[in-house]
Amino acid sequence: MVTCALPLLSDKMAVAAGSGCLRPGVGTEIILPGVKVPRNFRLLEELEEGQKGVGDGTVSWGLEDDEDMTLTRWRGMIIGPPRTIYENRMYSLKVECGPRYPEAPPFVRFVTKINLNGVHNSNGVVDTRAVSALAKWQNSYSIRVVLQELRRLMMCKENMKLPQPPEGQIYTN
Amino acid sequence: MAENSGTDPTVDSNVVENAASDRTMIVVTVKTPKDKEEITISEDSSVAQFKEEISKRFNAKQDQLVLIFAGKILKDGDTLNQHSIKDGLTVHLVIKTAPNDTISSASSSGTPQANSSVNPSSAPNDSTTPDTGPTPASTQPPNLLSGFGDLSNLSGMGMGSANFMEMQQQMQRQLMSNPEMLSQIMDNPLVQNMMSNPDLMRQMIVTNPQMQQLMERNPEISHMLNNPELMRQTMELARNPAMMQEMMRNQDRALSNLESIPGGYNALRRMYTDIQEPMFSAAREQFGNNPFSALGGNLDSGVQPSRTENREPLPNPWGPPGTTPLESRGTGASTTTTTSAGGTAPSASNPLGINASGLGNGVFGSPGMQSLMQQISENPQLMQNMLSAPYMRSMMQSLAQNPDLASQGSNPTATTNPSQQQQQLMQQMLQMFAGGGGGSLTVTPEVRFQQQLDQLSAMGFINREANLQALIATGGDINAAIERLLGSQPS
Repeated sequence: MVTCALPLLSDKMAVAAGSGCLRPGVGTEIILPGVKVPRNFRLLEELEEGQKGVGDGTVSWGLEDDEDMTLTRWRGMIIGPPRTIYENRMYSLKVECGPRYPEAPPFVRFVTKINLNGVHNSNGVVDTRAVSALAKWQNSYSIRVVLQELRRLMMCKENMKLPQPPEGQIYTN
Repeated sequence: MAENSGTDPTVDSNVVENAASDRTMIVVTVKTPKDKEEITISEDSSVAQFKEEISKRFNAKQDQLVLIFAGKILKDGDTLNQHSIKDGLTVHLVIKTAPNDTISSASSSGTPQANSSVNPSSAPNDSTTPDTGPTPASTQPPNLLSGFGDLSNLSGMGMGSANFMEMQQQMQRQLMSNPEMLSQIMDNPLVQNMMSNPDLMRQMIVTNPQMQQLMERNPEISHMLNNPELMRQTMELARNPAMMQEMMRNQDRALSNLESIPGGYNALRRMYTDIQEPMFSAAREQFGNNPFSALGGNLDSGVQPSRTENREPLPNPWGPPGTTPLESRGTGASTTTTTSAGGTAPSASNPLGINASGLGNGVFGSPGMQSLMQQISENPQLMQNMLSAPYMRSMMQSLAQNPDLASQGSNPTATTNPSQQQQQLMQQMLQMFAGGGGGSLTVTPEVRFQQQLDQLSAMGFINREANLQALIATGGDINAAIERLLGSQPS
């Protein structure tokens, strides 16, 4: 795992890191105003939350590769919401948290084929403008928030009845 | 299920399994959307072994279990170590309702069909499950039958986690997403039998709360439902997609012609918003397609719907009213009932508010014209027939395109010329339409479709250009435009 080889830029950050980071349970961040939590701390936190199943159990996320020191490539899973056409299906996604995360939103793309407004039919890339969590990204948002928002989109009237490709197909490009 | 954390039987069985080795046991939380269990298992075990434990605890088959950890699906051949699953972590579980073992239970759960009073509107869907359950099973993808799968969860009827409405809605969703299934169901003799019983259909429709709401808003609809002729025709329509298509095509054609008449667009819009839209939205939720779309507020399908292409000659619009063949008895009936509600105010059948008596002044001095107008307003079917005549359409179109011609008609002195009388009759009609509708001759598509555009953007179709194109292509038909937009949407 990434150790504290990261430069601690200020005392405040040290406080945040020490008290907020890597503590089990929900809502580990102590959000001090004006403090920007370093990227890797944030991502480690999210990693732990993903492993502990924080949330309602309808989305899951984790590192694509456990050896990825940069914590950039993530995998997500959304369980199709009931009473929609996505029900009983599991949608795999790739989430890429760039160097400016969490100031900048992550790139999200579906791996499992899906017919959803805001997702490109050809490659599964999620249109940033179509998902409000991405369009109006805040640094307090997280991968979980994005996945949950996508799941909420599946429950929208305009999406919940869209015909879907056969189960199990993935985007190849 | 009660939460058990490492109860003795589990530990014992684990100990027995791993008797040979002295592995560390870890406690992993397994979470479903509804449930949470803690499972103790050796940290070296494989996913398959893990699933075995889970299947015992959750009372599900192993091949129904899908485990997710950190955004990845755990395959049977993997080990927990591979995925770094350690003590105290949470794994997500989804219990899939596998398609193959629900066929037999689908036929046994055909019992819901017997009780039509519980959920009458769902009966036609449910009653088909015993017959169509086995047939599509082998050919359709699994998710289709997950709807059937929920049926298997209903031990008896209406019990279990999936309540009746949910399951029924799911069935309908499956239906809508898979048109072949719909046609299969329609072909089913059981369904056809039921659909040819108008009383049953009517009862089913009436007891549906959505329809009741709709009926409250639009009393014309209840009139329509009370007319057995109409019901029979509707059911024929719903049964036969070719016939339905023919009818839709006629309606669309006639409607688009109406649009080219000045003022006609406004009338259309009114007609749509008052009647068709609530029907569409209610019916779409209910049926997937809209068997009433052609009938609710239908203005112009004066052609008899037939199972094949219609080859009968169109009626003579200028013939005496008694002899005009009552072809569209179904649609005529619907529009007649709407007239009773509307009088001379704009209504579905009389959208332009033709008031025969009010036209007596000046331009329509001739008694023949007056009586014609009166006949039209009293017998909306005549108007339908008139408007559906081929030469009528072309005349209207040419008149619409040539505003000069129309304006000439307003000159009362021009009516004296007998050779032009027929043409002027038309011009006067046009004037009347214009007067009734209050539209202008020069409307851009954007203005014409303003309301539709608003609706589309409210629905989330933000590409205004595409919306406009789609609306133009479909002639203002919102639902067809939506289909177009969805069909061509790249993202």
